[in-house]
Amino acid sequence: MATFSFTRCLVRSYFCVKCVDHVQTRLQTTASRSSKYSKSQFTDTEVQDILTKITGLDLKKVFQPIRQQLTPPKYKLMTDTELEEAVRKAEEQAKHLLKMPPVLPERKPVNDVLSEDQMLEGMGTAKYVFTDINFNVPHRERFIVVREPSGTLRKATWNERDRIIQVYFPKEGRKITPPPIFKEENLRVVFEQDRHEDVLNQCVVQFEPDSAEFKNVMEIDVHGKYDLLRSTRFFGGLAWHLVNGRRIDGLLVDMLQSDLMQDAVRLVRLFNLVHPQSESAQHAQRQQATDLDLLKIYAQYESNRAGFIELAVQTYEQTKALSSF
Amino acid sequence: MYLIRSCMVFYKYFLLTYSLLSSTEYLSVMVHLSSFLLKKYHGGHVVIRLALGGATNRPFYRIVAAYNKWARDSKYIEQLGSYDPLPNIHNEKLVAFNYERIKYWIACGAHTTKPVAKLLGLAGFFPLHPMTITEAERRQKAALTEEVKMDRQEQVEQKEAL
Repeated sequence: MATFSFTRCLVRSYFCVKCVDHVQTRLQTTASRSSKYSKSQFTDTEVQDILTKITGLDLKKVFQPIRQQLTPPKYKLMTDTELEEAVRKAEEQAKHLLKMPPVLPERKPVNDVLSEDQMLEGMGTAKYVFTDINFNVPHRERFIVVREPSGTLRKATWNERDRIIQVYFPKEGRKITPPPIFKEENLRVVFEQDRHEDVLNQCVVQFEPDSAEFKNVMEIDVHGKYDLLRSTRFFGGLAWHLVNGRRIDGLLVDMLQSDLMQDAVRLVRLFNLVHPQSESAQHAQRQQATDLDLLKIYAQYESNRAGFIELAVQTYEQTKALSSF
Repeated sequence: MYLIRSCMVFYKYFLLTYSLLSSTEYLSVMVHLSSFLLKKYHGGHVVIRLALGGATNRPFYRIVAAYNKWARDSKYIEQLGSYDPLPNIHNEKLVAFNYERIKYWIACGAHTTKPVAKLLGLAGFFPLHPMTITEAERRQKAALTEEVKMDRQEQVEQKEAL
C-alpha cells in the first residue's frame, strides 16, 4: 500500500514530465534549424547544459516530503557500496524530476473556417462541437470542429480544444475550467505565502506549455526569492526568462552572496550566448575571457549593480588566495 | 420429408446463432422459436444509430453500430461516439465521433439513421442532410411570420392607445 501510494506520487509527477517531454522533442527539430543564424534558443544543448548546472542538484529539496498519506519510515541496513549505489540512483531520479518544462513560443490563435452555410441560419441557439475520438491520433492533430448557429463550420479555438480534450481524454490533475488560483489576485496571495513551487507544479499540469495562461503565470514569478526555486525544475525556465529580459542582476547578486561563483559565471556566459550583440559579449569574445574576467566585464558594461559585483569578485579572489596559503 | 428438412433448417440456424457472430453485414437469423417452421427470415443489416441513455428528463445518446433487429438500448457491436442533446454552460452540444471506425462500418455496408446522418452532415463528414436545410428554412419562415404578427400587434396597440 505504501509503495503503491509512493509510486502513484511519482507517476503523477512523471505524467506531467512525460507529456512535456513529448512536446519538447516534437518542437526541438524545428527550433534547432533556426538557431544557427539567430541567437541561441532555449532548446540548444549548450543552453540546456548551462541551465541544468545552474539549477543544481539538492537532493534534500528535490525529494522533499510531499503531502501524502503518512506511512512509517523504512530503515535499511546497507554497506558503503550499496549506499553509494542508492545515492547514485537517487541522483538519476532527481535529474529526471528536474526536467525543465519547455519554454515555447506562444501558440498562434486558430481562425480556420471550413465552410460557411448561410442556409442553416435558423437552425438553433446552441453550437455543436464535433470531436474525433480516435485513440491513435495525438491531441495536437485531433479534429475538433464547431458548427455555429449562424451556419459557419470552424475549427475550435485553443481554449475550447483544451477543455474538450480534457472531457474526452481526462488527464490526472487537470481540471476542465482552470482553478481560481491562477487569477492575478490569488497568485499574488500565494506568492506572498512563498508557495511558488506548488502553484508552478499545478500550472504545468493544468496548462499546455505553449498556452498564454502558462506564460502569464511564469512571468508573474517574484524575483527576490530565488532560493525557493533553486533546486526545482522551474529554475532553468526562470533563468531563461530573466536572461531574455536582461534582468539578471538580482539573480547574480543572490548567487554571489551564497558563494556560487561557478553558477554566476555560467549565468553570464548564458547571457552572452543569448545576446551576442551586447557589449559584454563582444568584449568577452575579443579577450577570450574566462570565469571571473567574464563577471568583471559584465559588471563593467551591462549591469546596474556594478559596484556590488566587483566587490564580490574581489572578496572571492581574496578568500581563494588566503585559503591556498 | 418436410419434417426432416425443417429439422435440418432448425439445426443449421441453431448453429449459426450460437456460433460467434462475425463482422460481416448479413446476420443470419434471430430465431423466434415459436414460428421458425413457417416464416421466412430476411437478413438483418448493421446500422449506425443513437442509443438512448441518461435519466428522466435528461437524455444522452451513444452513437453505436448495432444490428438492425436488436433492441435500441441493449446489445451493440461497437460504440462509435456520443451525443449530448442538452447544451452545457458554454452553450455547446458535445458530439463525439470515431471517424476511423465509422468509415470502417460504412465500408462494411452499414446504414445510418436519419439523426446520425444529420449530425454527420453538420460535422462536415457527410454532405448536409436535406432535412436540416428544410428545417432551417421552415424555422426562418416561422420566425418571419412571428415578426410580422408582433409588428401588427404593436401597431394595433399603438392605435388603441391614441
